Amino acid sequence: MVKVMLWGSLAALAEGKPELEIEAKNIKQLLQRLAEDHPGLKPVLEKGVSVSIDGMMYNDAWFEEISSENEICILPRIEGG
Amino acid sequence: MRFEAPTSLNAAIELLENEAGVVRILAGGTDVLVQLRSGQVEPDLIVDIKRIEAMQTITEEDGGFRIGAAVCGAELGGHAGVCKLWPGVVEAVELIGSTQVQGRATMVGNLCNASPAADSVPAMVAAGATARVTGPEGSRDIPVEKIATGPGQTSLGRAELVESVYLPARGVHSSDAYLRFIPRTEMDIAVVGAGISIEMDGNGICTHARVALGAVGPRVMLVEDAATALIGTSIDEAALEALAQAASSAATPIDDKRGTVDFRIKVAGVLARRAAIIAVQRSRVD
Amino acid sequence: MGKQDRDFKAVGTRPLRPDGVEKVTGRAKFGADLSAPGMLVGRFLRSPHAHARIRSIDTSKAAALPGVKAVVTGDSFDITKVSSGNHDTLANVMARDKALYEGHAVAAIAAISVSIARKALKLIEVDYEVLPHVTDVDEAMAADAPLLHENMFTANLTPKPTKPSNIANFYEFGHGDIEAGFAKADVIIERSFKTAATHQGYIEPHACLANMTQDGQGELWCCTQGHFMVRNVCADLMGMEISKLRVTASEIGGGFGGKTTVFIDPVALMLSKLAGKPVKIVMSREEVFKASGPTSSTSMRIKIGATNDGRLTACEGEFNYQGGAYADSPVQFGAMSAFACYDLEHVKTVGYDVAANRPKNVAYRAPGAPMAAFAVESVMAEMADRLGLDQLEFRLKNAATEGTRSSYGPTYNSVGLTETIKAAQSHDHYSAPLGANQGRGIASGFWFNFGGQTAVSLNVQEDGTVNVTVGTPDIGGSRASMGLMVAEELGIEYDNIRCIIADTSSLGYNDVTDGSRTTFSSGLALINAAKDAKAKMCARAARIWDIPAEAVEWKDGCVQPAGANAGEFEPMSFAEIAANADNTGGPIAGHHEINASGAGVSFGTHMVDVEVDPDTGYVKILRYTVVQDAGKAVHPAYVEGQYQGGAVQGIGWALNEEYIYGEDGRLQNAGFLDYRMPVASDLPMIDTVIVEVPNPGHPYGVRGVGETSIVPPMAAIANAVSQAAGVRMTELPMSPPRVLKAMDDAKGG
Repeated sequence: MVKVMLWGSLAALAEGKPELEIEAKNIKQLLQRLAEDHPGLKPVLEKGVSVSIDGMMYNDAWFEEISSENEICILPRIEGG
Repeated sequence: MRFEAPTSLNAAIELLENEAGVVRILAGGTDVLVQLRSGQVEPDLIVDIKRIEAMQTITEEDGGFRIGAAVCGAELGGHAGVCKLWPGVVEAVELIGSTQVQGRATMVGNLCNASPAADSVPAMVAAGATARVTGPEGSRDIPVEKIATGPGQTSLGRAELVESVYLPARGVHSSDAYLRFIPRTEMDIAVVGAGISIEMDGNGICTHARVALGAVGPRVMLVEDAATALIGTSIDEAALEALAQAASSAATPIDDKRGTVDFRIKVAGVLARRAAIIAVQRSRVD
Repeated sequence: MGKQDRDFKAVGTRPLRPDGVEKVTGRAKFGADLSAPGMLVGRFLRSPHAHARIRSIDTSKAAALPGVKAVVTGDSFDITKVSSGNHDTLANVMARDKALYEGHAVAAIAAISVSIARKALKLIEVDYEVLPHVTDVDEAMAADAPLLHENMFTANLTPKPTKPSNIANFYEFGHGDIEAGFAKADVIIERSFKTAATHQGYIEPHACLANMTQDGQGELWCCTQGHFMVRNVCADLMGMEISKLRVTASEIGGGFGGKTTVFIDPVALMLSKLAGKPVKIVMSREEVFKASGPTSSTSMRIKIGATNDGRLTACEGEFNYQGGAYADSPVQFGAMSAFACYDLEHVKTVGYDVAANRPKNVAYRAPGAPMAAFAVESVMAEMADRLGLDQLEFRLKNAATEGTRSSYGPTYNSVGLTETIKAAQSHDHYSAPLGANQGRGIASGFWFNFGGQTAVSLNVQEDGTVNVTVGTPDIGGSRASMGLMVAEELGIEYDNIRCIIADTSSLGYNDVTDGSRTTFSSGLALINAAKDAKAKMCARAARIWDIPAEAVEWKDGCVQPAGANAGEFEPMSFAEIAANADNTGGPIAGHHEINASGAGVSFGTHMVDVEVDPDTGYVKILRYTVVQDAGKAVHPAYVEGQYQGGAVQGIGWALNEEYIYGEDGRLQNAGFLDYRMPVASDLPMIDTVIVEVPNPGHPYGVRGVGETSIVPPMAAIANAVSQAAGVRMTELPMSPPRVLKAMDDAKGG
């Protein structure tokens, strides 16, 4: 099980829970299960998000491994200028 | 579109007379080319006056100077005589555009473009300059403040052009100054402009003054009340305050992208005051 | 503090940039510099209305004009074949049912000359039904505001709205219990702020040359921050296979985020396809202002609570960002970054992304963060004054450090904010005396930075020189940085390395040069490509010596025998191995493809002194110092250049730059005369201090440096002006009329 933090307005779409427990070994499984367990999140996840693992930002990185040791945050997709 | 570059004044007038469509006179071209490129104007004829020799010269005349219509800012700024006699006019001309633009832009072009924010015009008006207008009927000399009638509009008749501007002679203890307000330090257009010319007697009392404001009305204005505030005084603090108030009272600006009414009214007074202080200092140095 | 033990040889030096001579002699080829045989000129017809329904467009007269070779309207593109993610882009490139802002493209023509093109545009008849418009963010959010999109329902809002509005997205971030936090505060300050929309102001207008051939293949030369993005978007809009469109990036005269999308490129391709000839389009400056992608205007409210001894107890912010016709504001980044500098127990930010009748927003350097920092750091400065604390001490006391949970969620690893504040404290600028009418402002700022998809290639030539190929356009001297990192890794001279930006057919996909990612990501990939080449060269040397590949090692640009074979053979130089490539297996190359992660966040602290003319409100910048964490400065001169450039753009944003709209919804200042960017004589030399707290996510410790520098300036300048003017400035730009009015109002009581 990994603990995932959702940003405020995203949490509202996941029945108001700012932290969720998900069975996942990598980002692919994480995003897949989040969408399955919380259909309200699906459109946002499909539009694209960034995943922070211990403060490092990942976009489109299915196979990045995660465990209960990691701090994981779902964030709006980071872009720049 | 036809482009002509006559070598004589008569030929230029003839070209203007014979064209029924839209005509633009090209001196430095720093306004006309911008208007052309942006599609603001589509002339049928452009008459370039730079090849007319008489228009390229600065000549001394009765203790003053006659500036040809094709004399560019850099040439004017390099003329020791004009710089000494009318430093305020020269500094106003030199504020137009960049170093590159100074190599093209002319004082007469600035006058005939008839922008209320034209930098050289308040200085010329303060100087009591006259414009020589030439057309099919001959020439006439009129005060420069009579050229512009509104933004982009002039009193010039059909086939007429301004051939030159005359800056008159002046007394010993006299000088002039021009200041403009811009939010930057260069490459900008006046939000307010103030030109002041003064003459003092041997006792340090102002005997003659002219004050002109730019960008605070539909055209550059000569403010007689502001001049009155200075004449007969030593241009002390009280006179400067009266000057500032007269300048602010005369201003009839609009709110636009460059500034607000309140701002322009206040700054008209501030600049008139500051320009007067510079003119007084210059009159003493002489 | 934070220095690395590692000794760098090439990295950290300041060699000349490889593109310098071409640029200063005018030979570098920018977007508008390419021509092709038979080339046509492309021109746009744009909406004169801020908001209008397009009832019909009749192009028949224009098409019939001799010399006109193609006409394009929205109907020329088949939207049903375009992926949904690009629908807004397509509608922005060429209006479909509605024109949503003044300058919105409604038609385009290709003709044999500019004058014919101009004539043809006048012959196009558009029947508009003019609609009410809205350009102000607060007005656009009002319940009775003119609606831009009937199908815009605020996303992420719970419960789901039942009525459409101009608010496209809602965001909320933070942690803790904000009310409990404010209850603990001795002092609470709450203020509202507004900022005007600004443009990136790149000197080079958008330009491209498109050439579609009858067999459905295409080439595009264009000025962009990301030609792979251009290729993918254009191929989608044109209904082409990606591999059939080859895009080459020209030299670029600035982007700052504004060249991370397409405006003219798909239209040039479509015109070329219809005309059967190459088509060149160059935007005018007026078009750039009206129809490219400026950043948001904003309306914000900040509330900060602190104890008397200067500890923040709670921070709250509401951010309303106007995102243009399609609501593309970066408000989420504003709301995420607003309080990212501070260690907070209770923090909450909300953001609203709002559509209005203005050009579609595009990124602008640290998108969304500078405005938020202006608001937050203004209140921070006021709080420090209220508490009687030193500005830097107050920030230091609350600064985020390693282990701080950020205001947007994740816990920071190694970060350098504290180091920048301390460096500012010890800088002589901070203790220099101030004169009458002068003020000093301080502000800190944050940016995320980013990695992303990157593919690079490195080819070793037979004379021992190296060609490096990257896919990220060089907008800030990155080719020099690439050369330095390859020189460092291979142990060869910088001058023996030449880096180019390859076209889209030569490399795998590369993300856009944005998010301060290029030196980080392309550098990271190149270090790995160099390692790949080194491994191959070690193997070649081992075979020449006839010893096992494991028995050699790389040292100082040479291969030498190691372990049992140490000293057995003379080290073989890079050049020697390169010279024998043909006999040892053919060309030697290194490659690397990654989706880079591990970009380290970057903090900066700025100090500025200003003087305010009490009679005119004119603000003169007297002195400016930027302190920022670079992780490791690969080419310090270009790092300093990034710091200075960010500060200068921030000065413009703070003092005079703004989109000014009339009552008619039309932009009044679409040119550099009245869109007042600073000129050189407005500025002092911008002083810089490079702090280096290594990024653990990069082998050299590199952090992106391009964006953070624009985050603190507006706040720092506002704080300085407020001190000098004696009144708190809460609206940007702080133009002379606004400053003078604030001073007069304050005097009037």
